[in-house]
Amino acid sequence: MSITEKILCTKSHEYLLEEGDTYSIGLTDYAVEQLGDIVFVELPEVGVEFKKGDTFATVESVKAASEIYMPISGKIVEVNNAVADSPESLNNDWENSWLVKIEKTGSDAEMADLLDYEDYKEEVDE
Amino acid sequence: METYLHDKHVALGAKMVDFAGWSMPVQYTSIIEEHKNVRENIGLFDVSHMGEVFVVGKDSMEFLNKLVPQDISKLTDGKAVYCQLPNRNGGLIDDLIIYKLKEQTYLVICNASRVDEDINWMALNQRGYNVNLDNQSHNLSLIAVQGPKAIDLMHKLGYTQNQDSFTIIESKLLNIPMYISRTGYTGEDGFELLVINEYAEYLWDTLLEKGKEFNAMPIGLGARDTLRLEAALPLYGNDLDENTTPVEAGLSWSIPKDKFQDYNGKKVIEEQLENGGRKKLIGLKMLDKSIARHEYEVYFKGEKVGHVTSGGVSPMLNANIAMAYVKNSKEICTDCVVQVMIREKLHDAQVVKRPFVQKRNRVHKEK
Repeated sequence: MSITEKILCTKSHEYLLEEGDTYSIGLTDYAVEQLGDIVFVELPEVGVEFKKGDTFATVESVKAASEIYMPISGKIVEVNNAVADSPESLNNDWENSWLVKIEKTGSDAEMADLLDYEDYKEEVDE
Repeated sequence: METYLHDKHVALGAKMVDFAGWSMPVQYTSIIEEHKNVRENIGLFDVSHMGEVFVVGKDSMEFLNKLVPQDISKLTDGKAVYCQLPNRNGGLIDDLIIYKLKEQTYLVICNASRVDEDINWMALNQRGYNVNLDNQSHNLSLIAVQGPKAIDLMHKLGYTQNQDSFTIIESKLLNIPMYISRTGYTGEDGFELLVINEYAEYLWDTLLEKGKEFNAMPIGLGARDTLRLEAALPLYGNDLDENTTPVEAGLSWSIPKDKFQDYNGKKVIEEQLENGGRKKLIGLKMLDKSIARHEYEVYFKGEKVGHVTSGGVSPMLNANIAMAYVKNSKEICTDCVVQVMIREKLHDAQVVKRPFVQKRNRVHKEK
């Protein structure tokens, strides 16, 4: 099953993917395409807690630095150091270039405004 | 506004952005790929958004000499000079290339974002000079052909002249009348071709088609910016503004110390040539993977000493580089380490000489 059938997306172009007890968070293909060459990724420390909407990471393309926001509240349990070491992997393979894994700390209500991939695509294609 | 090549850019799949009111291509494929192609092969740039003002008349030399610190009286026919346009306090209204086409006829190339200001300023200074200002910006298209193989593509198109760097000729290429200048904004050898709008599409298509064998690629404003940063060429609005003098901007090399005629800002600029400015431009190389960008603060020994004006990646150095204004202190010198504040953390950067990347292909007369 493709990742696009399982992810939920934010209007700010992050995706959330449920994987058992944890969730991974990454950037959508649209975000990666819009950013162009990604050259720097700054990830948070494991153990830090963020609220929904907080900036938890920064992704920089040649042109600009972009803040990445939490789709839901959570505590960082793992960061993808491979992406920090090779930021271009986001351009080459967005589906496998997750940024962090989190433990959800908020309520399910926080998911209400997340879009499934098809609706998200419609939103960004407008 | 759109250039005459707008539809070509869209058809080539360019990502279009607004730049100084113009819809311009920022990238076609990837900024890094485009950047490297200009350093290794050829890049084609639509820079038709830039301003072209013809200054013509009996007093045109004296008039331009009033406007810029450079000595226009020394220009011979067909020569170009990099100039600045200071206000009366020495602050920069724009930076320019001035070409002497022939006696009493000059071409001034202005930044797209500053054409109106430049024209207004020229008009304000026009009193007493027998000179005509002819703004042709909307009638002309400018295509830059840049890179070590630019000369090969020009030869392929039938160009046979023997032209030095910073010269211009009026000629025909592909049977199109045009000005051909050996200038650019990339730190590479190259040409800029100035034609009336109606010829732009045919010229562009032919350059792309004939350029294939030299790996010519269209290049967007994104790579234009990273290329000029590696070459440490200033960008108006980032590195230059009305509160910055040419001395402070590190452009003293371009200013003759013996220019007799008075010019706007001369008092301040001459005083600063002697004693230095209030601030100075430095080159920085980041010592970690972080990227310094426009307006980030610069610290030295715990004290805020200035800010970054332009910063980003250097695809050729595989490092991140920046230019910054810092207070004019002898302590902040080449090889010393300063810090750049990036997202509330200080990151070390080394002060390095500019340009960051040396031109490999110096122009010399072809035999």
